[in-house]
Amino acid sequence: MLDILTAILIAGLTTGALYALATVGLSLVWGSMGMLNMAHAAMLTLGGYSAYTFSTALGLPAFVGFLGAIVVGAIAGGLLYILIVRNLLKNDKATFESNVMIATVGIGIALENTILLTYGGQPLKQPISATGSLVLGPLSLPYQNMLIVFVVIVLMAVIALLLGRTRMGRAIRATAQNREAAQLMGVAVNRVYFQVLVLSGAIAGVCGVMVSSMTQLSPPLGNDPMLKAFIMCVVAGLGNLPGAVAAAFGLALFEAFVQYVAGARWGFPTLLFVVIAVLIWRPAGLFGRVQIRRM
Amino acid sequence: MTQISRSKGISGSARLDLLVSLLLIAAAIALPFMVDSRYVLGQIVLALFYATIASQWNLLFGFAGVFSLAQMAMFAFGGYVTAMICFYFGWNVWAALLPGALATVVFSLVVGLACLRLTGVYVALLTLAIAQTMYLLIVTDTECFTMVGSICRQFTGGAVGFARFGDLGTRALLKGQWLVGNYAIIATLFTVTMIVTYVIVKSPIGLAFKALKDNPGYAVARGVNRFQAQLLVFGISAFFTGLAGGFYAAHFQAIGPGILSMSQLMFIIAITVVGGVGTFWGPLVGTIVLVGADELMREMGEFRTLGLGLIIALSILLMPKGLVGRVGDLVRWLRHRNAAGPKTKLQENRAAAGE
Repeated sequence: MLDILTAILIAGLTTGALYALATVGLSLVWGSMGMLNMAHAAMLTLGGYSAYTFSTALGLPAFVGFLGAIVVGAIAGGLLYILIVRNLLKNDKATFESNVMIATVGIGIALENTILLTYGGQPLKQPISATGSLVLGPLSLPYQNMLIVFVVIVLMAVIALLLGRTRMGRAIRATAQNREAAQLMGVAVNRVYFQVLVLSGAIAGVCGVMVSSMTQLSPPLGNDPMLKAFIMCVVAGLGNLPGAVAAAFGLALFEAFVQYVAGARWGFPTLLFVVIAVLIWRPAGLFGRVQIRRM
Repeated sequence: MTQISRSKGISGSARLDLLVSLLLIAAAIALPFMVDSRYVLGQIVLALFYATIASQWNLLFGFAGVFSLAQMAMFAFGGYVTAMICFYFGWNVWAALLPGALATVVFSLVVGLACLRLTGVYVALLTLAIAQTMYLLIVTDTECFTMVGSICRQFTGGAVGFARFGDLGTRALLKGQWLVGNYAIIATLFTVTMIVTYVIVKSPIGLAFKALKDNPGYAVARGVNRFQAQLLVFGISAFFTGLAGGFYAAHFQAIGPGILSMSQLMFIIAITVVGGVGTFWGPLVGTIVLVGADELMREMGEFRTLGLGLIIALSILLMPKGLVGRVGDLVRWLRHRNAAGPKTKLQENRAAAGE
């Protein structure tokens, strides 16, 4: 009984940490710019594959590969702003929300397909991973899972510090609260957008490495965690970071439990059912506030 | 500003729409006499399916502002129900088409009841999740439902889907020319869909849809019930999408979970975006352009998906209103330029008179 419970707990916490990372990247962008980044999944995959390139193909140490994934993710985020988002912001503001979604869908497909053409469709092994496990009496904790949870907690702390304590973080939060007011107070909103996309790209890079170290590298790698991150964002209320993290862990534990009880197949459908039930009860998400729209 | 110019041009645009549709119908009738190749005709039939789905997605998103990503799920649902009725009960395909479409409406209303309380991106994310769930549940279905010979059949057909459950009867009737018969049927389906869509868009309820899209707050304040109106448009679009799904299953005599894949959905979105979101002819123009581009890219093989993704991103960047919107801009610009001369003179005169 105890070992089943710990198995569910370990699986739930690990996937919860991964989902939290994916959710934070999405939620950050949505909260500050009102942009749903459908290319986030492809950026995740890109991060996983760049770590592979740096450490396996180029033979650099694992740490460099990890940093490489972060840098490549950040560059991808920056390019996304420069090439797409900046130009879409020039158009009508009212259509930005749906336009940017469609544009990033296109970018996501193109990026995923480029990865497929470059690396091939066969699954590859992520070199940045730990083997073995820590045995504590009847419990056995795989190092890999511990590493993931550790990295995610560290990253969360860094993001929280970045948003809470730095000048950049204050500008991001101000823009998220009220874009016009922030602009009038002298915040360069365009630079904030750029920073947010770079930051979320870097987070996606790390997340990609972590996800692929649990499974394998394949071009559609990012899609499954992204789909779950989407509905976790929705259930927490889009743009709410602490809520997103809480929802990610809560739902991941629930999913692990359902997968154990009813089989892997029913994990996601049950999750979706719960989310829809929550949304009927609270349409703005669990932690979301009801928005009052001015006309 | 745009409202005024639009209401002024209604009689003119209606005449233009009529002219275009008559020309298109003439072209559609002439087509089978001009095209010999079976491959080309087959692709045209497929393109007509795409145009039908895209026109319904356009009704939903372009006119009513509901960003649903469950469009292919509705299409698949209609196809699956039709195929399953024929497969399990041995019905004729023609008899199963309407139940398939009606079942899709019921399904869409259930999805709509769950999703349409929300707005904007929330709707998109939930509908996407529902579509993906449907795909996962079908693909991972391994439980035996019936035995066909020594082969185990799953209730939903599993990863293989259904095949050989009947056809539209054109093979028995027209022998070698069966494809032309199917072409005529699908072209009729498309025409009917377009006519009904046109009537809906131009009717008072169509104006309510448009109002909800352009300014939800104002529309609701003027007495439009957002939830009911959007549920209605969701149901209408699901009916035609589901019907098209049934015809699709009947035409190909097969249906599988492949049509639920992300790339199929993206193709529909790309068609609507390239043609022009919220324009009546947009989906048709988009279908012609994208199916054409797709055929050209077939030569390049594996770069097709990459090209498609770039086309979506670039067209939303360069022409947010699509090709039809761009042509509209061009016409307006030309008119404006022609009218510019006398108008400025008039204004000068007025200014002079004022002084």
